[in-house]
Amino acid sequence: MPKVTINNEEIEVDDGTTVMEAAAQLGYDIPHFCYHPALSIPANCRMCLVEVEDNPDLQPSCHMPVNDGMEVHTESERVVKARKSVLEFILVNHPVDCPICDQAGECKLQDYYMAYDAQESRLRTEKVDGVKVYPLGPEVVYDGERCILCTRCVRFCEEITETDELTTAQRGDHTEIRTFPGQELDNNYSMCTVDICPVGALTARDFRFKCRVWLMNTTDSVCTGCSQGCNIHLDHFRNEVQRYRPRYNPDVNDYWMCDPGRYTYKEVHQDRLEDPMVGDNVVNWHAATQAYVSTMDEALDTFEPSERAMVLSPQVSCEGLHQARRFADEVLETDRLYMGGKPGGESDDLLMNADKNPNRRGIEYVFGGLEAVDSFESLVDAMEAGEIRVLHMMNKHIPTTDDALRARFVDAVADLDLFVLQAMHRGEMVFPPDHRGDFPAADLDDPTLVELADIALPSSSHAEQDGTFVNEDGIAQPFSQSFKPLYNSQPDWQIFGRLGDEMGHSLSYRRLADLREEMFGDAEDDAKPKTLDDKQSKSRAPADAATQPTPAE
Amino acid sequence: MDEKILSKFFDRDDGHKLEVYEDHGGYDAARKAAEMSREEIVNEVKASNLRGRGGAGFPAGVKWSFIPQETEEDKYLVVNADEGEPGTFKDRQIMQRDPHQLIEGCIITAMALDLRYCYIYIRGELKFTEDIIQDAIEECYDKGYLGEDIFGTDQDLDIYTHISAGAYICGEETGMIEGLEGKPGKPRIKPPFPAIVGVFDAPTLVNNVESIACVPPVINRGAEWFANLGVEKNGGPKLYGLSGPIKNPGVYEAPSGITVRELLESPEYGGGMKEGKELKAYIPGGSSCAVLTPDELDREMSFEAMREVGSNLGTGCVTFVDQDTCMVRLAARLAHFYHHESCGQCTPCRDGTGWSAKVLDAIEAGRGRHEDLDLLEDMTGQIEHSTICALGPSLTFVVHSYLDKFPEEFEAHIEQGECPFPSWSLDDTKPAAAE
Ligand SMILES: Cc1cc2nc3c(=O)[nH]c(=O)nc-3n(C[C@H](O)[C@H](O)[C@H](O)COP(=O)(O)O)c2cc1C
Ligand code: SF4
Ligand code: SF4
Ligand code: FES
Repeated sequence: MPKVTINNEEIEVDDGTTVMEAAAQLGYDIPHFCYHPALSIPANCRMCLVEVEDNPDLQPSCHMPVNDGMEVHTESERVVKARKSVLEFILVNHPVDCPICDQAGECKLQDYYMAYDAQESRLRTEKVDGVKVYPLGPEVVYDGERCILCTRCVRFCEEITETDELTTAQRGDHTEIRTFPGQELDNNYSMCTVDICPVGALTARDFRFKCRVWLMNTTDSVCTGCSQGCNIHLDHFRNEVQRYRPRYNPDVNDYWMCDPGRYTYKEVHQDRLEDPMVGDNVVNWHAATQAYVSTMDEALDTFEPSERAMVLSPQVSCEGLHQARRFADEVLETDRLYMGGKPGGESDDLLMNADKNPNRRGIEYVFGGLEAVDSFESLVDAMEAGEIRVLHMMNKHIPTTDDALRARFVDAVADLDLFVLQAMHRGEMVFPPDHRGDFPAADLDDPTLVELADIALPSSSHAEQDGTFVNEDGIAQPFSQSFKPLYNSQPDWQIFGRLGDEMGHSLSYRRLADLREEMFGDAEDDAKPKTLDDKQSKSRAPADAATQPTPAE
Repeated sequence: MDEKILSKFFDRDDGHKLEVYEDHGGYDAARKAAEMSREEIVNEVKASNLRGRGGAGFPAGVKWSFIPQETEEDKYLVVNADEGEPGTFKDRQIMQRDPHQLIEGCIITAMALDLRYCYIYIRGELKFTEDIIQDAIEECYDKGYLGEDIFGTDQDLDIYTHISAGAYICGEETGMIEGLEGKPGKPRIKPPFPAIVGVFDAPTLVNNVESIACVPPVINRGAEWFANLGVEKNGGPKLYGLSGPIKNPGVYEAPSGITVRELLESPEYGGGMKEGKELKAYIPGGSSCAVLTPDELDREMSFEAMREVGSNLGTGCVTFVDQDTCMVRLAARLAHFYHHESCGQCTPCRDGTGWSAKVLDAIEAGRGRHEDLDLLEDMTGQIEHSTICALGPSLTFVVHSYLDKFPEEFEAHIEQGECPFPSWSLDDTKPAAAE
């Protein structure tokens, strides 16, 4: 293993370690633009130059492997001067339009300028004109003047999606990023190029000019778009989600997330069921709970346990499902449980899974397997056979794309004696949303489930509560509350607690932590998601805690 | 030089024909090499003191010895015929008038290093030479000089010509390799050097046209003879292209290490400055070399002698500059060249070349300020040690040497607010005969 001296400190590193990586292990954060830990290394930006003794040329630390006995200086006068110069060279043709740039506030160029340059400008020459608004594809817009030509976006499309849409065109300071003729930047991950663009050259159509980044707060969360459970930064401002950005987790999503998943943030704000309803009337929680208690009490008296059923939603957190289990068990006293959730959809080899529900494995975990949960189709059959009279359903999703089955279900719901819907959405818009996450309005000839419900209870999204999803690989991933429940909604675990308490059972918890302890704490080991414990802490502090520190993105 | 080695057919119209070449002992060297071991050939080239003629002057034999011999994969020879250095026009003479000397050089080189394929990478503007070279290649195939088991050895060799899409940067060896692979000419980071990872990731020898054309005489007449034609560490005859307002511009063959004065003044070569023209400066080997003043006229044309004074022998094509030429304008012109030709990968070269061109333009136009001189010096100094290839640093040599050698011209522009030299028009470039 080679030993290298960096700024007079010696360190032994693995063979093949680069100078930048070795420096990171000693705590030196060498500035860089083109280097990205997940991509190949072109060493073109020259921001990371360091001085290597006995070498007349400065060397790109991102590219240079450590040799035994090498002596490196990352903070010498020559290096500091070179950094200043690279920043100055970048600014020669840069428009410095930070006031109107979406990247301002999270821009590497701004940050490094403040850290390493911040000198009086020596530029008097005219700048090269570039394209200012150039759509590369449906989601991403390019600004050639802000581009520093680090080629991160090009390499992403070559190496991660392997779709090869992008290239550099022209040469010298006229170089710009372009798609190949006849192509668009239109892959499932195109917006990741916006994330990795170190400057404001690539912007997402969806986020352009929407919100200054310093106004937003950020919460660690998990995407609900599919069962992969990509870790995200949920950026929000004034109780509104502004965007999702992927959060590094080497076990789940690396640095990436898919475009359709990224757009699912819109579900937090669109088509929401805002208030409790009894029949057609908007009521408050007190009135809704009273109505629930009286109608359900009567129904429990009238119908056998086998005539009562519950539809579980894999959209809901483990905490909500834990309470659903207890509610079905202790209050409804039924074991007729059915699988709800969104129907399957598109998948690919990278991250996107066909199961569009984030927590199917959570149901498996909470209910100790899926044997106890029957298919949606069998629910419809049982309803049509008149076997089920009382149904408590979580979420308005109907887990099928088969129109006939949907229609049969809606018809059967109309025949129920008691139908309670506990849902985030009104169902007046259609799932799935279009590519931009906007929901087309539904063809409202048919009544919605909310309209059919005797009682409808608004539940909160994952952005409004703490919770846990278990992804397709069985990794339990906590997510945090970004803002208080919107409208008059409540988290599912609280709704069940409240209803259960009012029905004369002791179901509620004062604190979520108590529920979690009960749920995770005394579970049988083999029933547990296999990586539950270790991943829980890991996904909160994902910065590769298990291995050596690596250079930042 | 009495005996012409590299240029013996330059004033004949039929020198490109195999028949003529063979009448003058052509392909004898290849036959001789076929009897030699690989090692013997390499050692001969090493001992000949042949230096790369593409600009960097790397000892050819040493570079050859970097090509790994124990590999199974096919290895490549790439002949750099992209001659694009401003002021340089020597390789094209070989390509046009003596292609067989080049091909014979390729054959011997391939025998020496077991190179299976050879590409001759021809500058787009020199496309007319492709037909000539291609015809010569066909003649060789017909004779069995190319193809399988050439000259009775077990060496196979196929030669292809490749026309560059046209960019100065494709003359840089790794930019050229990218170009050969069908990609934009963006130089690669070295190491690994082409000798290890070259075209199609295989070991690749890259040599300049003239370097390869020197190989047959080395083998034919021996390393010692070749080395003795030159000076210490710079062996053999050399092609010099002379340009500028001199009496006899053109390409001349002369020994390595000849003095610049002899090249300029001897009636055999440049014949002196034109009537009424006085020498103010010269650029020894293409625009990327630092400019020198007449007090360095007695310098030897060797890599060592030129490096002593901070310049370079480069391609050995000398540009002479007369007293009426504005050095600021010349520097600006060259800066525009490097700006135009920068591939745009490295930040310092991409943005620094254009910036210096614009600052030099401003000075030339009388809009300069004294601070601009420090700015130029400082800013171009930051390009030198911080780029992937040598194109960016070339601009540093240009700007620094012009600032250093002709500060008074820069000051005069700034102080007078205009260029003190006569204005320049296209008419000045017309040959004298047209007047
Ligand atoms: C910007 C640039 C342009 C170059 N152009 C040429 C060229 O046109 N012809 C050439 O032979 N070498 C050129 N070179 C040098 C080559 O990179 C390489 O060193 C040379 O071809 C090696 O051959 P030699 O060792 O026989 O000289 C250039 C180098 C640079 C940095
Ligand atoms: S658009 Fe962004 S990521 Fe792509 S090359 Fe330009 S600066 Fe780099
Ligand atoms: S120095 Fe200039 S020409 Fe060479 S690789 Fe860098 S940008 Fe391209
Ligand atoms: S050259 Fe190392 S980060 Fe760009």
